Amino acid sequence: MPENGKMFKPLDPLLHSELRLAVMSILIDAESADFVYLKAETGATSGNLSVQLDKLQQAGYIEVTKGFKGKMPQTVCRITDKGKDAFAAYVEALRSYISTDKG
Amino acid sequence: MENNFSAENSLRLISETIERSRRTMAKNSGKPMILWGTLVAVTSVIIYFLWSKTGSPMWNLLWFAMSAIGAVCSYKMGRNHEKVPASEINRILGKVWMWFGIFATGFYAVLWIVACIRYAAHMDGVVGVDMTMIILMMMGLCGAISGSVMNQKAVSASSVTATALAVIYLLLLPDGSPAQILTFLILGVFALIIPGVILQHKTRA
Repeated sequence: MPENGKMFKPLDPLLHSELRLAVMSILIDAESADFVYLKAETGATSGNLSVQLDKLQQAGYIEVTKGFKGKMPQTVCRITDKGKDAFAAYVEALRSYISTDKG
Repeated sequence: MENNFSAENSLRLISETIERSRRTMAKNSGKPMILWGTLVAVTSVIIYFLWSKTGSPMWNLLWFAMSAIGAVCSYKMGRNHEKVPASEINRILGKVWMWFGIFATGFYAVLWIVACIRYAAHMDGVVGVDMTMIILMMMGLCGAISGSVMNQKAVSASSVTATALAVIYLLLLPDGSPAQILTFLILGVFALIIPGVILQHKTRA
């Protein structure tokens, strides 16, 4: 418990990671995004991004659809309602940390 | 990199990522407005000359040809652009203008059906609906909504001003004048082309 007696809200460990948080921040504002776009926007390597997307998918925060666009394989990610709720709760928790720090 | 950044850093990362992604998604969002504005402006001038020369309002059917050309150009433009996901804002704008297209085309089709029924039933008089005024108002409204959704006051202001100018011009014309179609030239330029150019400039900056 902090000195001023306020309780910190727990931070979702799945979202408290730079790359996973960046991916969720992109998906929260987009209908869907493909792997190539996420890779370009986050600057992550393909391997690392795949691993993090898998973790988010297993948690039910995102849906991953694999298919083809023309002859090219395409992986499309979309945030789920559970993911939106988790993201909102995470941001709310961050705010409680900052307001506690300032208070 | 993992799990050791502060609350401030997390919030900064979220806002910076969203902002950067929004900028990427907003790229080229002004181009469809410029395309449709140009088509509307050019078509209205062509219809005006043909209507004036022949005295027949049937040339208004060219609006359907314009819609078909616009749809093909939009499709090709979308394929040529950098592949970026659709943002919620783009999705909403697409729906707004899609419903404008459905209402305008549907309304036009209904008027033609009614005119045919009246002709077949040997009914006298004409259908007392000012279609130009209604389409103008719908177009201006959609333009103003688009500006609000994009948080671009200049786009909304341009649409409202263009609609007001077009309505004043229309009301000053004699009934049935071919010049009424030039109101779409005003709206095409001020409600679509200029906002489109503004948007392109802002998203490129």
